[in-house]
Amino acid sequence: MSTTRREFLKTVGAAIATSQIPPQPAAMATLAAPTALAPQQPVARRKVIYDQDNSGPFGTDILGTLMMLQADNIDLLGITLVTGDAWMKQEMAFTLRLLEMMGRTEIPVYAGAEFPMLNTKDEWQLRQQLYGGHRLDPWMGAFNRTNGGPNEIKPLPPPYDRLANLKAQQEHAARFIIKTVRENPGQVTVYAGGPLTNLALAIALGPDIVPLVHELVIMGTGFHMFTNAFNIFFDPESARKVLRAGWQKCSIVTVDIAEEIHESDEIAPGRKMIEEIASRAESPISDLFRTHAVEPLRRNPNMHFFRMADEMIAAQVIDPSIFTKSEQMYVDICTTPGPRYGDSMFWPKNWQDDPDAGKHSLSAADRRVFVNPRQFYLGPPPSAGLVNVLQEIDHDRFKKLFVDLMTKPIRNGMTEHSA
Amino acid sequence: MRSPSDLLAHSAMFSPALQTSSGSGGKKKLIYDQDHRGPLSTDTVATLMLLQADNIDLLGICTVSCDMWAKQETAYALRLLEIMGRPEVPVFMGAQEPLLNTKAEAQMRYQMFGSRSLGNEGYLGCFAKDAAGRDEVTPLPPPYNRFAQIKAQPEPAADFIIRTIRANPNEVTMYCGGPMTNLALAVMLAPDIVPITKEVIFMGGGIHHSTSSVNVYFDAEAAKIGFRAAWPKFTLVTTDLAEEVHMQDDGKVDAIVDRAHAPIADLFREYEQKPQRANPQRRSFRMPDEMMAAHAIDPSIFTGYDEMHIDIVTHNDGHYGDTSFWDANWKDQGGELAGQNNPSIKAGRVQVLNGIDKKRFRELFTDLMTRPINRSK
Repeated sequence: MSTTRREFLKTVGAAIATSQIPPQPAAMATLAAPTALAPQQPVARRKVIYDQDNSGPFGTDILGTLMMLQADNIDLLGITLVTGDAWMKQEMAFTLRLLEMMGRTEIPVYAGAEFPMLNTKDEWQLRQQLYGGHRLDPWMGAFNRTNGGPNEIKPLPPPYDRLANLKAQQEHAARFIIKTVRENPGQVTVYAGGPLTNLALAIALGPDIVPLVHELVIMGTGFHMFTNAFNIFFDPESARKVLRAGWQKCSIVTVDIAEEIHESDEIAPGRKMIEEIASRAESPISDLFRTHAVEPLRRNPNMHFFRMADEMIAAQVIDPSIFTKSEQMYVDICTTPGPRYGDSMFWPKNWQDDPDAGKHSLSAADRRVFVNPRQFYLGPPPSAGLVNVLQEIDHDRFKKLFVDLMTKPIRNGMTEHSA
Repeated sequence: MRSPSDLLAHSAMFSPALQTSSGSGGKKKLIYDQDHRGPLSTDTVATLMLLQADNIDLLGICTVSCDMWAKQETAYALRLLEIMGRPEVPVFMGAQEPLLNTKAEAQMRYQMFGSRSLGNEGYLGCFAKDAAGRDEVTPLPPPYNRFAQIKAQPEPAADFIIRTIRANPNEVTMYCGGPMTNLALAVMLAPDIVPITKEVIFMGGGIHHSTSSVNVYFDAEAAKIGFRAAWPKFTLVTTDLAEEVHMQDDGKVDAIVDRAHAPIADLFREYEQKPQRANPQRRSFRMPDEMMAAHAIDPSIFTGYDEMHIDIVTHNDGHYGDTSFWDANWKDQGGELAGQNNPSIKAGRVQVLNGIDKKRFRELFTDLMTRPINRSK
C-alpha cells in the first residue's frame, strides 16, 4: 500500500506542500493567543512534542497522530510514548509502522514510562470491587482484561501488516522532553494525549523546563459527563504533579467538550464524514478508515464511535481559533486511593467574587451556606494549578479541519526537512 | 592515636566483613543518596563514616531535599569532600521537591491532624514554617568556612543511579539516607535496574516507636515506589532500632574530639561537644544513618533481621506516609488463624534489622572517626 502512495507522491510533486486548511479570518479573536497560528503566514510553524498513548490500529490516539502528521504548520520534533490506552511497547510497534506508512521516518520516536507512577492493575480491580465501578464505560486501557503483559507485542493488523524496520531512539522520552524544551526555550508546545507520566518525570528531573514550555495541551478531567477521565485516573499522581506545575499556558480538553463530537453518531453527518474520508483520502489514511471505520460500521450499523478527544487536542495545537470559549480555572486531582482516586476538581479563577453577583443565582437555602466567600472558604487548595479550560468548539470548523487534514495529499516530511 | 587494644579489637571484628564484601579489591560499590544536612547531623556523620571506611568504594553522592533543600545540602556535601581531601568523589544534585508533597499541604495536614513525629517535635525538615527558601544557599560555618571549588555534576541524580547500576550489574549497593525520591525516579525511568541492584539500604518507618519518620512522610509516593519494587535485597533500619543508640551516650563525643584528626575533630567539637556542655539536658538524636553506614561497612554488627512485607499510606490526610508491616510468614503464623493477616496486594518485601551489637557499633564508629583521614591517594 505504501508503494502505491509513494508512486502517487511522485506524480503529485510539489503540490503537496499547499495547505488544505482554509483561512478563517479573525472570527475567533477572543481566544487567539499572540502566538496562535495565523493561517495566512505559511512559515509560522509550531514546534510540537507529541506525547501519546498511541494505541493502534485506529481510534482517537491514531487520528490525533494523523492530524499532527498532516498539518503543514506543525513541526513535529519527536513522538514520545507512554503506557495508557495500550502498553508502551505495543504502542511503539504501531507508531513506528505508522510513520513508515506515512513516509515520515525522519520523526524520532522515544520510549517513555511503561508503568504509571503508583497505580497498578490489581489495585484498580480491587478498588472497583470495593467501591464499585464509577465510569460509564469499562475501559481500562493497558489494564484491560483482554490485554497481555507490558512486553507482549501482538502482530499488527492491516493496513499496518508487519512490524516496522524503523527503530525507536535510545534516549528516554522524559530526557528528550527536557533536552528539547531547553534547546528551544519558549517555543515548544507539548501535546499530551495520554497519561501524564512522561511529563511528570520530565519536570521532576528538570523543573527548569516548566516556564520554558510555550503551551501544554492535555486531554482529561471533566465537570459533568464524569469528573474522572482515563488519562487522569490511569496515573492520578502524575496528573496532579503536572497540573500543579505552573505552566505559562496549560489548555485542557475536558471530557465534557470532547463528548460533543463523535466520529460517527446517530447524526448523519458523522457517518457521512467517515465515508467521505475513506473515499477521498490517500493511502494509508483511506485504508485505515476503510478497514477500521467504514467496514465495521457496515457490519454493525448501531456501532457508536468514541468521542474525538485527541483530535481536539490536535485542533487546539493546529488552529486554536476553532475553540470559541475558554476559561481560566484552578484544577486539582484527588490522589487518595479511595472511590474518588483520579477525580478532577475545578474552581473558578475568581472564586473570591461574590457568588450572588452575575449569573449565579442562589436559592435562599444555599445563601445560608454560601453567604460570603471571605467567611466560607470556597477556593482551591494551596497548590492547585491554574489552567485554560476549553469550553466551546465550533463544530463545523472542527469537522472541516479534520476532514481536510485527512483527505489532503499525504504530507511529505523527508523533502521538507532536507530542503 | 589508637591504643593497641583498639586496633586488635577492631581488626578481629572487621576481617569477616572484609572477606564477605564483594566487588573489585574487596570493596563494596556504593551509591550514597542522602539528604545531606550540614554542618553536622546523622546524615553528615554517616558520610564521614563511609569516607573513612577502607572497604567502601563510594561511586557518587546524590543529594535530595528533606532535612534541608537539595541545593544547600549539595553545598555542604561538596565542601565536606574538599575538607576531607576527597574531591574526586562525584556529587549529583537530586530531586529538589518530593514527587507530590508540598510545604503548604504538609503544614495544613499538621494543623488539621496534629504532628506525629517523635515527642511531638513535628519535624518537617525544609518544609518547616521558618525554613529557608528552596533556592536559598546560606554561607557555610566553620570548619567549612566557604563554598567548595569543586562543582556538582550536571547530570541529575536519578540518571547517575541508572547509568551506574547498569554499568555494574549486581554489584551496586544503594544507600538511601533520605526520602527515596531519586530512587523512585530512577525506577520509573528504568525499571530494568531493580533486579540488578545488589541491595538497597534505607532508614525509615517503624512498628513500635513510631510508624513513620521524615524520610517516608516527606515523600510518601516515592517511598511507596521504592518499597514496592522487587529488589533482590532491601534492608531497613526502623526507628525502633535506630532509637537504641544515641550520639551522647554511644557516640563517644569527647573521645572523638580528643583523638580525631581535623576536620572531624573540629566538627564534633563545634557541633556536638559545645552544645552538650552548654546544655547538659540536651537530648542528642538517635543514630539512624550511622546505623545504615555501619550496615554498609560491616553487616555482621547486626544480630539479625525479620523478613517482612511493607506498604505505605499515600492518602492525603493524617496518615500520609504511615508504614504498615506484615510478617513474611503470615500464611503459617498464628496457629488456627494462620493466613488471615495478609499484606496489601502490592506490598514490598524487606529485611527489617532487629538487633545491633551496641559495643561493636560503638567501636566501629569511634575507630572510623578517629583513624587518620582517608584522603585520596
